[in-house]
Amino acid sequence: MLNYLIRRFAVIVTMAFVISFVSFALLYAAPGGPLEQLASMQSTTRRPDPDEVERIMKRYDLDLDIGIRFLRWLIGHPRGSIVIGGQEISPNLQVGCLKPGRAQLVYPDGRIEEINCAKPVYLRDLDGRPVSNGVIMLDFGRSQQLAREQPVSQLINTRLGPTLLLMGLSTFLAIAIAIPIGVYSAVKQYSRFDYFFTTLAFFGSGMPTLFTGVMGILIFALIFKDLGLPYLPAGLATSNRDVAIPVFGLIRAGTVPDRIWHLILPVSVLTFFSLAGWTRFIRSSMLEVLRQDYVRTARAKGLIERVVIMKHALRNALIPFVTLLAGVLPSLFGGAIITESVFSWPGIGKLFINSLTASDYPVAIAYLLISTFLTLVGFLVSDVLYTIVDPRIRMS
Amino acid sequence: MKTRKLSAVLGLTAATSMILAACAAPAGTPIVQTVVVKETEVVVETKEVEKVVEKVVEVTVPAPQAAEWTTPHPILSDIRVRQAIAHCTDRSALIGSVYGYLPEEERSKLFMDTFIPKDSVWYARNVDPNANIVDYPFDVEKAGQLLDEAGWTLPEGARIRVNDKKEPLALRFTTTNAPFRQTWGAVFVSSLQQCGIQLLPSYIPGSIWFGGNSGLRRRDFDIGAFAWVGEPEPPGVTLYACDQIPTPANNWNGQNYMGWCNEKASQAIKQANNTLDDAERKRLYTIVQEEFSKDMISLPLFQRLEATAYSKDLKGLIPDPNEYFSASADQWELAGKDTVVIAQGQEPASLFLLQESAAVAVVVGQLVFGVFNTSYNYGFQPVLYEGDEFPSLDNGGAVNAEVEIKDGDVVVNADGDVGTLKDGKLVDIEGKELGLTGKNLAGEDVQIAAGAKLPQLTVTYKFKPHSWSDGEPVKKADWELGYKVACDRESGAVSYFTCDRVVSYEALDDNSYKVVYAAGYQPPQYYLAPFGYYPSHRKIGDKTLAEIEPKEFKNLPELTDTPLGTGPYVIKSWERGQRITLEANPNYWKGEPKVKNIVVQIFDANPAGAVAALLQGTVDVVGKETLGAGQELQTVIEENAKGTIVAEPIASPTWEHADFNLNIR
Repeated sequence: MLNYLIRRFAVIVTMAFVISFVSFALLYAAPGGPLEQLASMQSTTRRPDPDEVERIMKRYDLDLDIGIRFLRWLIGHPRGSIVIGGQEISPNLQVGCLKPGRAQLVYPDGRIEEINCAKPVYLRDLDGRPVSNGVIMLDFGRSQQLAREQPVSQLINTRLGPTLLLMGLSTFLAIAIAIPIGVYSAVKQYSRFDYFFTTLAFFGSGMPTLFTGVMGILIFALIFKDLGLPYLPAGLATSNRDVAIPVFGLIRAGTVPDRIWHLILPVSVLTFFSLAGWTRFIRSSMLEVLRQDYVRTARAKGLIERVVIMKHALRNALIPFVTLLAGVLPSLFGGAIITESVFSWPGIGKLFINSLTASDYPVAIAYLLISTFLTLVGFLVSDVLYTIVDPRIRMS
Repeated sequence: MKTRKLSAVLGLTAATSMILAACAAPAGTPIVQTVVVKETEVVVETKEVEKVVEKVVEVTVPAPQAAEWTTPHPILSDIRVRQAIAHCTDRSALIGSVYGYLPEEERSKLFMDTFIPKDSVWYARNVDPNANIVDYPFDVEKAGQLLDEAGWTLPEGARIRVNDKKEPLALRFTTTNAPFRQTWGAVFVSSLQQCGIQLLPSYIPGSIWFGGNSGLRRRDFDIGAFAWVGEPEPPGVTLYACDQIPTPANNWNGQNYMGWCNEKASQAIKQANNTLDDAERKRLYTIVQEEFSKDMISLPLFQRLEATAYSKDLKGLIPDPNEYFSASADQWELAGKDTVVIAQGQEPASLFLLQESAAVAVVVGQLVFGVFNTSYNYGFQPVLYEGDEFPSLDNGGAVNAEVEIKDGDVVVNADGDVGTLKDGKLVDIEGKELGLTGKNLAGEDVQIAAGAKLPQLTVTYKFKPHSWSDGEPVKKADWELGYKVACDRESGAVSYFTCDRVVSYEALDDNSYKVVYAAGYQPPQYYLAPFGYYPSHRKIGDKTLAEIEPKEFKNLPELTDTPLGTGPYVIKSWERGQRITLEANPNYWKGEPKVKNIVVQIFDANPAGAVAALLQGTVDVVGKETLGAGQELQTVIEENAKGTIVAEPIASPTWEHADFNLNIR
């Protein structure tokens, strides 16, 4: 078991490393970024001075080779000249280029070398340049655009609460509702109840949250209000002013009822969307189990139907269910990008989308990396859980 | 399960692309060329790399033969073809395709015929009703005649014109893939088809069309459409001057993407940006507009539409094409409520405005810091200036005197570039030699050399006495700190353009300062105060702000999140990702505002959510920068017509146009 865990953990670290490098390189290769931001921030009457461009490049390490840039992001090194025993190690190591072009390097011995860079950056030029402690020390650096110069971890912290609340609640509700419906649908296969929920399930998974969310706002927030019915807010996590709604009366801004009032619509939309999948899964898993010999045996023993279903069938049907939990972990963190956007929910999914549109690479990469890590850990957890709930499976 | 995942992925992709499409094209944002491209001709100063010997070697690398992009375009270099295209473009149909919900008379207000919107005081016909602007009314017959003359004839039964070599009259038409542009683009294509001109449209992502090394900046188009944003001051030299044509030889610098070189217009626009005489500037801009319309190198199409939507109960808000609604915040009144909620499409990245100039930050900034001046309706109005007037040459606040320059002086040449005079050479910060032509006070060319005479501007900016929101009056030291930080190379300021052109700065007393500009620098907007101030008394830990290094400023939460200002409101709290809460400043110089609280509610890139909240009554203002130009704009204008909210359509300073590329490689 320990060996297995160590091996799996090594795989996770390697995978996370590869994925983070690829996403790092891809993001920086994409168009946009701080330099174009600089250009667009300035007026039509002039263009950025070369020294302004260089300042920005240095500030965001854009002048460094991608590998060096990645290393500084990952481990916070290299930070400047490397001196061992008073001797500077490879002082002429070029780590980047501040200004493309051509230049000649003339060495003291008269040797001339031509390089494809008008302003090379050497290791020692990194002396004193601000750098994070590296991702491995859980320092994700500072935001470049969304919250200029603020630590990324702080930015993520402020969004974590609302996302966990939204995702946790909707996932819990979805599972809590899906299990009885799935079980009942399987037991009463091809009944009216089954058809109804099967149809609803397909409808739920077929309707994107973008659609159900907007429809929900239109109906429950705007039309209900116009009709004088108790209505729901059109978005956000809390109110800015006290609101009086019909029947329920005054809701004070920022109180618990206010928060619950704001949660209803987004949680319903998300629950409806994921409910379908969970129900279908429980139903098919249950159907499979119900055909097993041990269920027939249980019935033949004369056990009452409720015990057969709940004790003998359901518990076995839930075994594959554990594998699905692997996907829950990253989604609890990652949030629901669309739902959060539609409801202006101050969550992490939205932060990610914003960081992409604003080319705020440190934030985007932090999100990708944490999601990657949680996905991999989720798989490991579900594999371990599998051996616990299913004694037929052993780790090796 | 698979279905669920698949639909999740598809939904995600679709919605992401919608979100991206919605936020992508800051299509109207002006593009300024950056210079990170390969040099073709360089005189490089290379620093010795062995640390032991410090030796500077100057090496000349021969320039490789660059493609010059001076070959005339086979079709578009003929002015008759360009004029025919102009005549053939049914601009009212273009406007109708995107703003069909507007009444006819509102639509006609969006029509453009030069590069300056009709509302602007700089528009040629507002300066001189008889200005010689060439109009290109929609006239298919006229277009046909022009094309016939140009040798593009329509063969019997054909739909596309051909020349004598039987080559078709087909042109690439490039613009962004924003739905808005695809809509009017389709009308443009079919409009030109009536005249036998075939347009081959390509609607590409804004990131490529406006990318640093692609699309527009590399002049990779025949006809290219995008938008410029009109400012109170008309666009400057980078758009239409001869030396602003991007080519490989100049590292693709400049924004004259058409490759238009009309000496008369080029000179006029340069002079217009280098004189302080408004009447003269208007005359010069009229010349440029006349030449612009005559040569038809860029077809102005229409101004976009915009609106600021707000509650009917909110009084005192001034929507304007050039100024933010928040500039009027100190005059707001909201019947029956003490809190105004503003919806913002994006969270300000920082309130350290030296580093941050996004609209969302400026809106909050105006609440906290107030305004020195406003910029309503393509003009500037003094607010905090003493005597309610800007310093000017007439009132003695500014003096423009000819001075004799000497070696070591900082000098600005006729091109507006700044350098230091050293041994008869004008050298910029990078060590590059600059042109030695300057302009004297009479506007004549002079050779820049020791002993030459150039005009030097000295301006004294005087303000009304006022206090910080904590009650501490603004002091001389605050102004000094403002200048020190703004011009510190490590402070992270967006630009040092003005700092580089300032010779001396002196805070005269608690409410005024004097700036002496570099000889030869004649900024038309000299009367706008170039530097602000910081509360030097503010405690940061055990130090005061004045004792802190300028490079630390951008990391201080006391400046980025909870800055002290002199404006009508004070930041009470900032819940990241959610809202910024402000309360009225009791020490505001105009008196405490009537509205006691303002909440800036963040609707991240979700204008639909903001509009829904406005209609629901939970939000009171949705600014133009949040509303955008999409479906939500139509919604609020329709609701305005119904009388549920206020959202008067305004002709935006952002204007769409189609550029003709006059040269090919």
